[in-house]
Amino acid sequence: MFRTRRGLLAAAGVLAMALSACAPSAPEGQTSSGTTSEQVTLDVWGWRQEDVAAYEKIFKIYEDAHPGVKVKYVPYKADEYDTILRTGLSDANGPDVAQLRSYGLLQPLVAAKSLVPLDGQVQELAGFPEPVLDGARGERDKRVYGVPFAIQTLHVIYDKALFGKHGLTPPKTWDEMIAAFDKLAAADLVPLATTVTDTWMLPIQQEIFGATTYGGHDYLGRMLAGQAKFTDRPWVDSLTRWKSTSKYWPEQYEGVSYVDAQALFTSGRAAMFPGGVWELAVFGKSNPELELGIFNVPPPPGAAATQTLVPGYVDGSFGVSAKSPDQKAAMDLVRWMASPEFGQAFSTELRQISAVPGVRPQDPLLAQALAAYQADPSPYVTYAYFSGGSPTAWDLASEAFSTFVAGRSGAEDAAEHIQQGVDQWFRPTQ
Amino acid sequence: MTTRRRGVRVLVVHALLWSYAAVAFGPLLLVAIGSFRTNADILRQPVGLPESLTLDNYLRAWETASISTYFANSLLVTVGAVALCVAVSATAAYALSRWRFRGRALLAAFFLSGLMIPAKLGLLPVFYMYLSMGLIDTRPGLMLLYAASGVPFSIFVIMGFMRGLPTGLEEAARLDGANEGRLFVSIALPLMRPALAVVTVFQFAPTWNDFFYPLVLLRSDAKYTVPVGLTRFFGEFATDRATLFAGLVIALVPLALVFALATKQIIAGLTAGMSR
Amino acid sequence: MTAGRLGPARYRAGYRAGYRAGYRAGRTSPAWIAAFCLPALVLYGVFVVVPLVTALYYGLFRWEGIRRGEFAGLGNYLEVLTRYPLNQEIPAALWHNVLFFAGTMAIQNTVGLGLAVLLYRNPRGKRFLQTIFSLPYLISPLIVGYVWSLLLSPTFGPINFLLRAAGLESWARPWLGAPDTALPVLVLVNAWQWIGGPMLIFLAALGGIPRELEEAAAMDGASPFRAFWSVRFPLLMPAVGVITVLTFIGCFNLFDLVYALGGSDGGPGGAMDVLGLLYYRTAFEGGTNAIGESSALAIMIFILVFGASAVLERFLRRREVTS
Repeated sequence: MFRTRRGLLAAAGVLAMALSACAPSAPEGQTSSGTTSEQVTLDVWGWRQEDVAAYEKIFKIYEDAHPGVKVKYVPYKADEYDTILRTGLSDANGPDVAQLRSYGLLQPLVAAKSLVPLDGQVQELAGFPEPVLDGARGERDKRVYGVPFAIQTLHVIYDKALFGKHGLTPPKTWDEMIAAFDKLAAADLVPLATTVTDTWMLPIQQEIFGATTYGGHDYLGRMLAGQAKFTDRPWVDSLTRWKSTSKYWPEQYEGVSYVDAQALFTSGRAAMFPGGVWELAVFGKSNPELELGIFNVPPPPGAAATQTLVPGYVDGSFGVSAKSPDQKAAMDLVRWMASPEFGQAFSTELRQISAVPGVRPQDPLLAQALAAYQADPSPYVTYAYFSGGSPTAWDLASEAFSTFVAGRSGAEDAAEHIQQGVDQWFRPTQ
Repeated sequence: MTTRRRGVRVLVVHALLWSYAAVAFGPLLLVAIGSFRTNADILRQPVGLPESLTLDNYLRAWETASISTYFANSLLVTVGAVALCVAVSATAAYALSRWRFRGRALLAAFFLSGLMIPAKLGLLPVFYMYLSMGLIDTRPGLMLLYAASGVPFSIFVIMGFMRGLPTGLEEAARLDGANEGRLFVSIALPLMRPALAVVTVFQFAPTWNDFFYPLVLLRSDAKYTVPVGLTRFFGEFATDRATLFAGLVIALVPLALVFALATKQIIAGLTAGMSR
Repeated sequence: MTAGRLGPARYRAGYRAGYRAGYRAGRTSPAWIAAFCLPALVLYGVFVVVPLVTALYYGLFRWEGIRRGEFAGLGNYLEVLTRYPLNQEIPAALWHNVLFFAGTMAIQNTVGLGLAVLLYRNPRGKRFLQTIFSLPYLISPLIVGYVWSLLLSPTFGPINFLLRAAGLESWARPWLGAPDTALPVLVLVNAWQWIGGPMLIFLAALGGIPRELEEAAAMDGASPFRAFWSVRFPLLMPAVGVITVLTFIGCFNLFDLVYALGGSDGGPGGAMDVLGLLYYRTAFEGGTNAIGESSALAIMIFILVFGASAVLERFLRRREVTS
């Protein structure tokens, strides 16, 4: 009796081992790290749940050219992605390749040594412009940790049909723009679909309407050198200028969410939506009949810049996990992600601007956005440049702008909030 | 007191009760009705009846979100966690309230102090502990965590209940020579059933609904519980309210049915648990 | 019942014996004690206490992402308490927690008591109504928050739509966007979800009060209100105690609902920012030293909540004894 029981136990043990060997949690790639003839599966983590189908198509190109390699895009909810990734990168069951946020949000991963530095490993990066690589650089060691995949530009997106119906064209001057707003408002339309409750959109709106007022890259250069501050006149004025458009925002805008603002625009109740180019794909999907156009805000009287500026930044990059059991295969994939082949597929399938140099978007609106950005680029100051310490300018700005927009504090107070927070860690470059 | 005055009073009471019922149920009704409308219709007219009875939203929701998988996971994790928690808490609470031994008061205080701990503050260490134990992305890991964080509350309730229960039966059985294990199983356990019911009810829904732990501790879609699964669904259908509503209804109905059927038992348990 | 099988005489004998022998120290063998207490102790120790102790340890170091750096002593504590704007967000969040607790006690628990009293007197439709009232309790707070944020939307939300339709244009507010309505809305939505809890507990407690008591009071000519207040309410004190403790625990565990209603910033101007959210932000949206700082914050919140609930517990216990 005892013997049979032991026999049973042993059998159960073998079974359990066999089961755990094919348990779904163990990435298939792990078991095959030694031999190359076996199947390798690379898990690519990302925050774009809506892009799964497109990534499947893109990675199919790679899989066809590399038999034996399977690439799987594993998306997480955008809000929680940073948390999940930070922890996920700390073990071998996590991703092999991960979509990384840029600038300040990348730093904790770099500091934890969770990522493999790519300079030297990915030759193609040499062809990328320096400002683009800045988005994927470690703050301290200045090494590049990811292949940038997208450039996001910020615009006012408008409904061509509604503009046509009211005899409007994209404005050339600030006054012309305000006149257009007035006309649309008189026709019982919401001129600008904006959100306040989703505070991350506020710094974006501030750049769209305020960039020319403080002067874009020129002013940023002086800020980084310690010669100008958030609290100085030009930047404070950019806040006031942005808020001066608030009478064209939706009724009770303090309570309007991001999703509400999108719905206002796609349902034809609002004529314009100030936001990033990534919205074009979203709008196209939720209302395919919508005819979209983009323009950028012309400089108002007294602005520091005399030409229209187009704010833009690097959205993110693909990096290799230091804990990946298939690092070589992962590195090959990331190398391909720096090639025009990937860039073109990315741009076409996802309707985004690829960060790979020389890739022209097929979509005419994206091509227009990219051309405009390349002609008159402007930085996304709070997100891209004052984000290397805690608290980040972007967090501070999101908080400060929500009270400012709700009329609870003045432009000076909002600027002071950001300056005071950043002053605790920011050291100007000499 | 005249019957007329009584009648008026009953009427007022019912008016109050039913108007609160409208408050409680109204939002759910809006969601339910919305799930049969089209998205464009909802955006145009937030309150209104469906133009035609369409099940398209339900089909879309059912196809996109693997709600049946989420359900099975939630059920497994919740039932396992509550059962484990109740089992270990019942024995410990029994020992703490019936036996006198050195360190008893200290042990009781140690357990009860857990009531005041916001358990979520330990999430980060739990994560790294799980990483080293291989419990990341496992349902048993989640189950253990829920069971553990329910222990203080369960011991608190069961001990309170036992305190008010006379010990006569147990002593009588003890005189008859029953050992402690037997005593517990055949005498104490049946007596503490109401308290166990209370504990089960109060642990079940929060465990079922928790989103924080699975968010961080689970990885694969196939292991998601209902709340995490639904947030993913939300992300995907943020702009399509009609489908979103359909998904919510699908997720809610089975639980609501179970609850409606079990209300009687729950109330009975609560009544017994409180009435002494 | 079991008592019947043993017979009343035996039962009384046993009871007396038990009483006399009382607390026969040492009678129960250590093996039994271990067998009964150890499972709970291990479970609770490993998965609740150890992580908190670990957090204490984590908080003493600087961190580089998820890599432990040099020993920092109380450096993280100092950092969290002095760094702008955290040094202002902590007291603000704590104050919101306090307001939330007060608001929930005042609204959720009194309305819950009211509903229980009304239901108790009128058994007709009782079970159905009970189910309806407690239904929201079944829904995940995250989903409750999400649904309510859709309902409260000023542009597409049914609530403002209905208010406008009823001619109450000025009542239609940007609920979650305005700092002065956001926190009250949070309290109301939370109450909407949890009201079934206090209601059921009060109902159960009411059921345990002998009917004769109130009838006697009515005979003395006391009004129903007075009869309730002076006869029943004192007997409900144990239930009030339980509910207060539960509300307190729930209040400091508040996270999902606020997260869904106002995002991780706690809504515009941080009007709904609470400690749970603040911890989440420092831990999961913080910078390179997030682990060190959030662990320090966790320990401080822990000490605060623990101290406060110890005081509350003592206070309630005294009330229970005197009433």
